[in-house]
Amino acid sequence: MPVETKEAEIILKVAEVLIEELKLEDVTPDTFQPDIDLVDEIGIDSMDLATVALVLQDHYGIRFDEDDYPTLTTVRKIAVYIAERLDS
Amino acid sequence: MTAPNVKTDHQPCPKPPRQWKFADILADPAIRARWEKVRQYFFLRESTYDMSRRCNIRCEGCYYFEGDKQHAEENRDPAAWRRLMQAEKARGVTFVVLAGAEPALVPELCQACYEELPLGTIATNGLIRIPDTTGYRIHISVWGNDATSKRIRGASNMLGRQLENYRNDPRAVFVYTFTPTNIDEAREVTDNLASQDAQVTFNMFSAPVGYDGPLRHTPASLQKVRETTIALLADYPEHVLFSNYNAVVHTHRLGLHDLFACPYPRRNSTRNVGLGRSFRQYRTDLDWDRDAACCVPDTDCDDCRHYAAGSAIVTSKLFRHATDPETFRAWLDYVDTYLAVWVTGYAKGPNLYTSVTEPPCCAP
Repeated sequence: MPVETKEAEIILKVAEVLIEELKLEDVTPDTFQPDIDLVDEIGIDSMDLATVALVLQDHYGIRFDEDDYPTLTTVRKIAVYIAERLDS
Repeated sequence: MTAPNVKTDHQPCPKPPRQWKFADILADPAIRARWEKVRQYFFLRESTYDMSRRCNIRCEGCYYFEGDKQHAEENRDPAAWRRLMQAEKARGVTFVVLAGAEPALVPELCQACYEELPLGTIATNGLIRIPDTTGYRIHISVWGNDATSKRIRGASNMLGRQLENYRNDPRAVFVYTFTPTNIDEAREVTDNLASQDAQVTFNMFSAPVGYDGPLRHTPASLQKVRETTIALLADYPEHVLFSNYNAVVHTHRLGLHDLFACPYPRRNSTRNVGLGRSFRQYRTDLDWDRDAACCVPDTDCDDCRHYAAGSAIVTSKLFRHATDPETFRAWLDYVDTYLAVWVTGYAKGPNLYTSVTEPPCCAP
């Protein structure tokens, strides 16, 4: 699968988890801006990021490092992080 | 009662026998229900505020009268405090802790804060009643029986006066601070409070920077506090707001920072998310200093086992505790306790984990 396609699929999944876990309204995975800052612009905080990381760990069968997830503050950053671990 | 195994010696945390998925941990209905209950409060964003540099008593080892903060000018203008709260709300703060030195001396400032930001807690010695109109949770500090309070705090008949002010007040939680010298008095005090239908939780004396007096805990006193708090929790379950995991993490030979890495700005340079981003500790002049910002400034971080610190530090470590059902139950008990202690109207549920578990993957 092309890298771009894989990243695009992961972006959609990350957006879906964010919307479902944090009960975000007026947005769908397709319309979620992957580079929007989740903390600054949506108001997500560390506990929310931890929750999302735990759910994504389950889905992809990878491990997030405890020191890493607080730095993953956009959907794209999360998706790239996941893609790198899937490739390693 | 016989307390379960309560060793304080550090032992390496064994790996859980299997890698649990978070969804599998949540498959337990009791865990799922408690998780859904506590996560509703993940929106809480805390900052703390020194309301006055005056106090009506002077306690040995009081953290407020250490360092520079005691010398800040007092801003006693309710309008200025109201503007500060509006600004705090605008930057995302949802929970305020009004403390140092004695907030009850400035009730008009507390009321102004409450009218702008209605979720929060006031830390007081309880000798001056805070008006009912200020609906914050109220933490009343207790440092032993009356004889000990007289000696360490210079106040007579302290518990009786505190109860007179806050009997049957749903805002009130009595916070018993353990020192090495008052452990044996905790049962007498807890029994007294329970007989008056008051709620009590436990704190650990945490030495201010440079303090080397008799109130600093020792390995033996930590062990004894662990046994005592677990026994009191078992004997007074309706009135003691605590859990076995609270007892473990607050009496561990390692302080909270060494156990979990304190997320307050004083020890955490991260600014992008969490307490490192949002937490501020305001002095009485409404100024703040990032390098000094934590919930109990001028406390020796190596000795910090303070209940307020733990409420943020342990709670923030969701990720680390989501390893297996047992560890996650312990964490849920801790968070449920924290919310019951700090948030007006939050009802604590029964503890899910009744054994004793060591903190996960303790720092070396």
